[in-house]
Amino acid sequence: MGFIKKNITLIVGISIPILMILFVAASIYLPGFFIHPKYNFLYATGYDIASCSPCLYSVENHKLVRNTINPSKGKSRPDQGDWRLHICDVAKNESKEISFEEARKLDLDPRQRSPDGFEVTYGSRSDGFPPFFFESTWDYNNPYLKGHNLNKRLNLQVSPSYRVNFRVIGWIK
Amino acid sequence: MATRSRALQYIRTLARQKTVTRDELLKAFDSGLGEELEEVPVHKLGVAEILYYLGGGIVFFGIAILLGQNWSTLSFETKFLATFGSGIASYVVGLIFSRDARTESVSSAFHLISALATPLGLWVVFDHAGFDANSYGIQCLISGAMLGSHLLSLAVFKKNLFIVFSILFGAWLFFSLTSWMVGGAALFRDWKFYMYRVLAAGTSFMLIGYAFSKNKRRAPLSGFFYSFGVFGFLAAALALGGWNHDKNVFWELVYPGLIFAILFLSVHTKAKAFLYWGTFFLMAYILKITSEHFSTGLGWPLALVIAGLAMIAAGYMALSIKKKYLYSE
Repeated sequence: MGFIKKNITLIVGISIPILMILFVAASIYLPGFFIHPKYNFLYATGYDIASCSPCLYSVENHKLVRNTINPSKGKSRPDQGDWRLHICDVAKNESKEISFEEARKLDLDPRQRSPDGFEVTYGSRSDGFPPFFFESTWDYNNPYLKGHNLNKRLNLQVSPSYRVNFRVIGWIK
Repeated sequence: MATRSRALQYIRTLARQKTVTRDELLKAFDSGLGEELEEVPVHKLGVAEILYYLGGGIVFFGIAILLGQNWSTLSFETKFLATFGSGIASYVVGLIFSRDARTESVSSAFHLISALATPLGLWVVFDHAGFDANSYGIQCLISGAMLGSHLLSLAVFKKNLFIVFSILFGAWLFFSLTSWMVGGAALFRDWKFYMYRVLAAGTSFMLIGYAFSKNKRRAPLSGFFYSFGVFGFLAAALALGGWNHDKNVFWELVYPGLIFAILFLSVHTKAKAFLYWGTFFLMAYILKITSEHFSTGLGWPLALVIAGLAMIAAGYMALSIKKKYLYSE
């Protein structure tokens, strides 16, 4: 007790970073124990998929449809024919590839936010050795499920690239 | 000797003024004889030691540049020996030099080389093993290993220098670990998260500096931790205030209070770092507020005049505080 009283300033000084580490850990890991998103989602992967217009797949009347894409002249857009469809099981944090025919049977909600208030966002990446800090950049193919203070990293089948190579098509109801 | 003659002169003055009696002086003298004097070697950083540290830093940069320029041609063994090898060798040389009072101050420079070169050596090992050596996970391992080894050195050799390195490697571990835990999750904007961590580290450094100032053996370290702590704390709080469209009203309003608290602490702790950095950031805040809020309404010339006058007032206040409270008799 005497030691603590004598060195209280030193103990408080060393405790501040430790408490901040505990706070950061709690804010990252604790929500995962209590918040459980219910809705899985269908997503497509393919090179530079986010910038497609029109896109190969879309949702009409809660069903997946395949659109006819006419290759535009003078543009070197990548072929959308090699796009693949996947279902992300949010609870297990697993993905599996499915065929278009299987995907057509799903009842889909195409809104950005799921019915229970979650959305898929890009992650971020920062570099540097302390005390040097470099402004972070978006990590487009490192997706997170975000909402209600939860930030859960998703294991989607996305190839690493500086292009956005995945696209959420709809939440499965 | 100067202290002795000054003390005798002071006693003569007191005797002339009849402020103390002969009996009181003899009593004080006798009680002093009975006390055991605690011999505490206090090292203040002199010009020679600054040059030693500079030399140590330059040696490290030499190694780093050698490696950088010949990265693709040097073998792993050469890179390992040039970094980790020289780090360990410097540590041993530092220990040998620290055993002799004549070479003790030089030993600090070798410990500095060791503290800089050894983590680079570990980085080379991780890179060779195929890991992303720049990732925060690997930075946690390197900083954790360095913190552990320096805490062990501190426990064995009880040198102040190992406290400094332990705290600096601890700070590196703190930043790396929190960055690693957050990963890519966009909890809040990265630079803000970084600034909150600098704020926490700055507060921690100031408290550690204060704790050291109360300990005779550690007192020379307090100035170092005060300087880095106050600078980090005030710089982070200023940055959190934001700029123009991205400003945070809370931090902008709280900031003057923080500065005056720091200036008050300079009186309480008698540490010049609080006064100098407090005044510097008060001036920075005046310039920021003037350019943000008054440059468009009043126009730049008038805003600059107001800012200049406010800065003169801040400088005058700092000088007054220094003269009145920080000069020891």
